[in-house]
Amino acid sequence: MSEKNREGKRNARDKMREARAAEEAKARRTKKLAVGGVVVAVIAAAVVVGVVVQNQRSKPETPTAAPAGTIGDKNLVIPVGAADAPSTLTVYEDPRCPACGSFERSFSPTVDQLEDAGKIVVNYHIVSFIDRSLGGSGSKYGANALGCAQDAGHFRDYHDVLYRNQPEETEDSFGNKQTLIDLAKQVPGLDTPEFRSCVNDNKFGGWVSAVQQDFDKSSYKSTPTVLLNGEPVYPKKGDEQISPENLVKWVDAANQGKQLGSTGSHGQSPAPTSTAGESNNPPSP
Amino acid sequence: MASQQADRGRVGGLRRAVDGAAAEWFGLAVRLGLAVVWGWAGLAKVSDPAEAAQAVRAYEILPESLVKPVGWGLPFLELALALLLVLGLGTRIVAVVSAVLLLVFIAGISSAWARGISIDCGCFGGGGAVDESQTKYLQEILRDTGFLLLSAWLVYRPRTKLSLDAWLAA
Repeated sequence: MSEKNREGKRNARDKMREARAAEEAKARRTKKLAVGGVVVAVIAAAVVVGVVVQNQRSKPETPTAAPAGTIGDKNLVIPVGAADAPSTLTVYEDPRCPACGSFERSFSPTVDQLEDAGKIVVNYHIVSFIDRSLGGSGSKYGANALGCAQDAGHFRDYHDVLYRNQPEETEDSFGNKQTLIDLAKQVPGLDTPEFRSCVNDNKFGGWVSAVQQDFDKSSYKSTPTVLLNGEPVYPKKGDEQISPENLVKWVDAANQGKQLGSTGSHGQSPAPTSTAGESNNPPSP
Repeated sequence: MASQQADRGRVGGLRRAVDGAAAEWFGLAVRLGLAVVWGWAGLAKVSDPAEAAQAVRAYEILPESLVKPVGWGLPFLELALALLLVLGLGTRIVAVVSAVLLLVFIAGISSAWARGISIDCGCFGGGGAVDESQTKYLQEILRDTGFLLLSAWLVYRPRTKLSLDAWLAA
């Protein structure tokens, strides 16, 4: 009797212990599932919120305010020279890019002459990606200031002044808006209150971002990218190295038998209705 | 006989090293270290959405329609992982996600290297095309492999000191 009783007690104790263990295991499983659910929810929420927020923060690819006289279907391009010139030189440049600076310092007199003779119209894409790799805002602010100068009708001169005073690539002096305004004093008639507030307010920041996004999507990866009638000519055209003499030679060859553009605009063609053919987003090769 | 005992002692010592309090403190350091990595990587990519998209586009792997969602969502995924690692919540799951993400990054960088395109990995901001002389594929892969080891440890031993997991289990 007592034997049996003891055995019964032990069975009951075992059963209780088993039940408790099962319950604990179940609680642990539930907790694990709950934690897993929370983790997945946090990650999913973060990604969704991130995409929505960044979408809202993104500057549109078609800018709301573009400098006067810009051309192309999104007004991303600054044209210099006669709109009806027979040849088009397309130039992608970053204000902070040292190779662009050396290109400008060697070629701007030649390019100016070709423009003034009505031989070429230059389509400038002022890109701003050096800030990404080196930090700072000199590319973006410099590009905005160039947009402001275009808006005021002084792009060509201010563009030449900026490249003549270009800092070392790692130095971000164009990130200082006062430097950009001080340099404008070298261009007669540019240093106006409108220009200063345009630079200080980063008025064409959205346009600058749109120009860069257009470059991002292009097949070109570096600056300066220089195209004569769509064909790359920098650093070489085919096997021939670019030089001021060669550039003139190539332009003259391309223009053979064609009527030159109207001259006398001193490099400015502020007419927003300009018809110079230029698509914003060049096709991949 | 004596050598057998020594063996058992050594195994016991290893067990203690992997399971003991010291290991849980080590796990805490690993967890916080990985949290700093993800937090830094995420924050560096948040400020400029166009730059983040371009870093993804430069790999020339994803179609254009996925470039922006990935470029915009990825930094927030990294920040979420950082937050969960700081809290120590669901450490093993988070470590698995971290490891998968790092494997994807290593695969992406290797693929760019193999295809001979010149880009910055954009791991901690920046990204996009760079000059051929400025590519750092080997360093980038080794660095990510180091982070992968941290994740692997946390998959292996997710119990760490000062974690929500430990607090919930108590």
